[in-house]
Amino acid sequence: MKVVPSRSSEWVKPVASQKPASAIIEIDRVSQVFQTSARKDHLALSDISLTIEEGAFVSILGPSGCGKSTLLYIVGGFVSPTSGAARIKGQAITGPGPDRGPVFQEFALFPWKTVLGNVMYGPRQQGVRASEADALSRSLIEMVGLKGYENFYPKELSGGMKQRVALARTLAYHPEVLLMDEPFGALDAHTRTRLQNDLLNIWERDRKTVLFVTHSVDEAVFLSDKVVMMSKSPGRIRQVIDIDLPRPRRRSELLLDPRYQKYVVDIERMFDESDEAGSAT
Amino acid sequence: MISPTALTRRAAPVLACIGLLAVWQVASLVLKNDSFPTAIEAIRAVPDILGDKEALINILASLRRMAMGFGVAVLFSIPLGLLMGRSRAVAAFFNPLLMVIYPVPKAALMPIIMLWLGVGDVTKTLVIFLGVSLPVIYHSFEGAKAVEEKMLWSGAAMGLSPLQRLVRIVLPAALPEILTGCRTGLVLALITMITSEMIARQSGAGNILFNALDMGQYDTVFAMIIIVGAMGICLDAIFERIRARLVRWSEPQFDMPLSFS
Repeated sequence: MKVVPSRSSEWVKPVASQKPASAIIEIDRVSQVFQTSARKDHLALSDISLTIEEGAFVSILGPSGCGKSTLLYIVGGFVSPTSGAARIKGQAITGPGPDRGPVFQEFALFPWKTVLGNVMYGPRQQGVRASEADALSRSLIEMVGLKGYENFYPKELSGGMKQRVALARTLAYHPEVLLMDEPFGALDAHTRTRLQNDLLNIWERDRKTVLFVTHSVDEAVFLSDKVVMMSKSPGRIRQVIDIDLPRPRRRSELLLDPRYQKYVVDIERMFDESDEAGSAT
Repeated sequence: MISPTALTRRAAPVLACIGLLAVWQVASLVLKNDSFPTAIEAIRAVPDILGDKEALINILASLRRMAMGFGVAVLFSIPLGLLMGRSRAVAAFFNPLLMVIYPVPKAALMPIIMLWLGVGDVTKTLVIFLGVSLPVIYHSFEGAKAVEEKMLWSGAAMGLSPLQRLVRIVLPAALPEILTGCRTGLVLALITMITSEMIARQSGAGNILFNALDMGQYDTVFAMIIIVGAMGICLDAIFERIRARLVRWSEPQFDMPLSFS
């Protein structure tokens, strides 16, 4: 899937030329209108088309208010688009399902359940036997680095730990696609960096498809195979950029890599340009 | 080993009770009014009431009606409140109805209900039911409304149906708020229990109280007030124990010293 950088416009490719090998998610001319008041409509998403290949780590990057989370909720089936359609493996998305596992910025853990109870919830709902679900959940809790915290309640955990539990809880029911909605947005810089590294380590094991919403350029470049840049009012796709950096990635190494730096700087420049263009009109 | 602060905290409710009785005693001695017996006289009359089989049967009958009214109210109000909290249409339908019923003193409805259903247990239980329902509905409603959308989405992604989400996510998530409503409801149940027996005199703790008042047995009147007050404290303390156990997972809260915790 990696696109070889061309000479002039480097790795920047327009949306139309993306020819996916094995698409898992297709977003087809999706628009979303929100009624903000009785007479005023707000066009949150305008005519979005996007294809996500199986096993890809794709970030949706944009300023707040560009509709990037809404797009993720449409794929999740939590919000139905005003027009257009989203599909998973060719099937129209009509509602939430265990094939798409969300991880939210707000963690959204069940506070009345322990860490173990939270992680076991999905498998139990899916009909997995208690003993099996228990063993699976314990191994996932260990994988996200929370061994020993099985019987803690969410209120006893820090933000970073809560998000680790949320990730384990979602992985526990084996979704085919992870939908991550600014998952590290509420965390301090140090915790965020650690979770980014850990997320990539976990992702390397089975390379599930990930759709990752963020407003941090450097987070998007560090994690992704592909960055979808969005602009706001109305929310549109500006550009889709393939990130051609070797994996596995370590943050400490990558920060020194000129290729990484170039991606970050170029994307930031593009956002700056659009801001200027936006304020000029 | 109990620290001095813990000791003070534990002793505080007892000290408050003793203080109240002391003030009562002094006030009564100063006022020298026949209809205001001293605290000691009132306390002396307590064992007389509790030792009397007839009185005991009356009090137990009261408690039975109260338990019935409270229980049915909770079973009815929690599902209704939760549905109202999660469905705009249900809320839009029931909210105006509840706003009409809310300010009406439930005991004021008793004479009418008595005409329909007689002066027996059904009428009194129904009035208790009405008294308890509103705060429980209101708190269940508020609790359900405050449940984080993303929590429900997480459940939906795991494959929970709307009904399962209501029972297995909204109910536990709203439980702290629901139990706050139930606690208010419990006190209201006690109040409506006594008032209902004041209006429909036939049996019960309220009946003993008001009969004694009619006959000028003021020590019995005040003894009954002590007994009702003590029942309130005990019921609340028991309820608080249960509540604390059920919502141990939620934020710790400071509480009134009423619960003797």
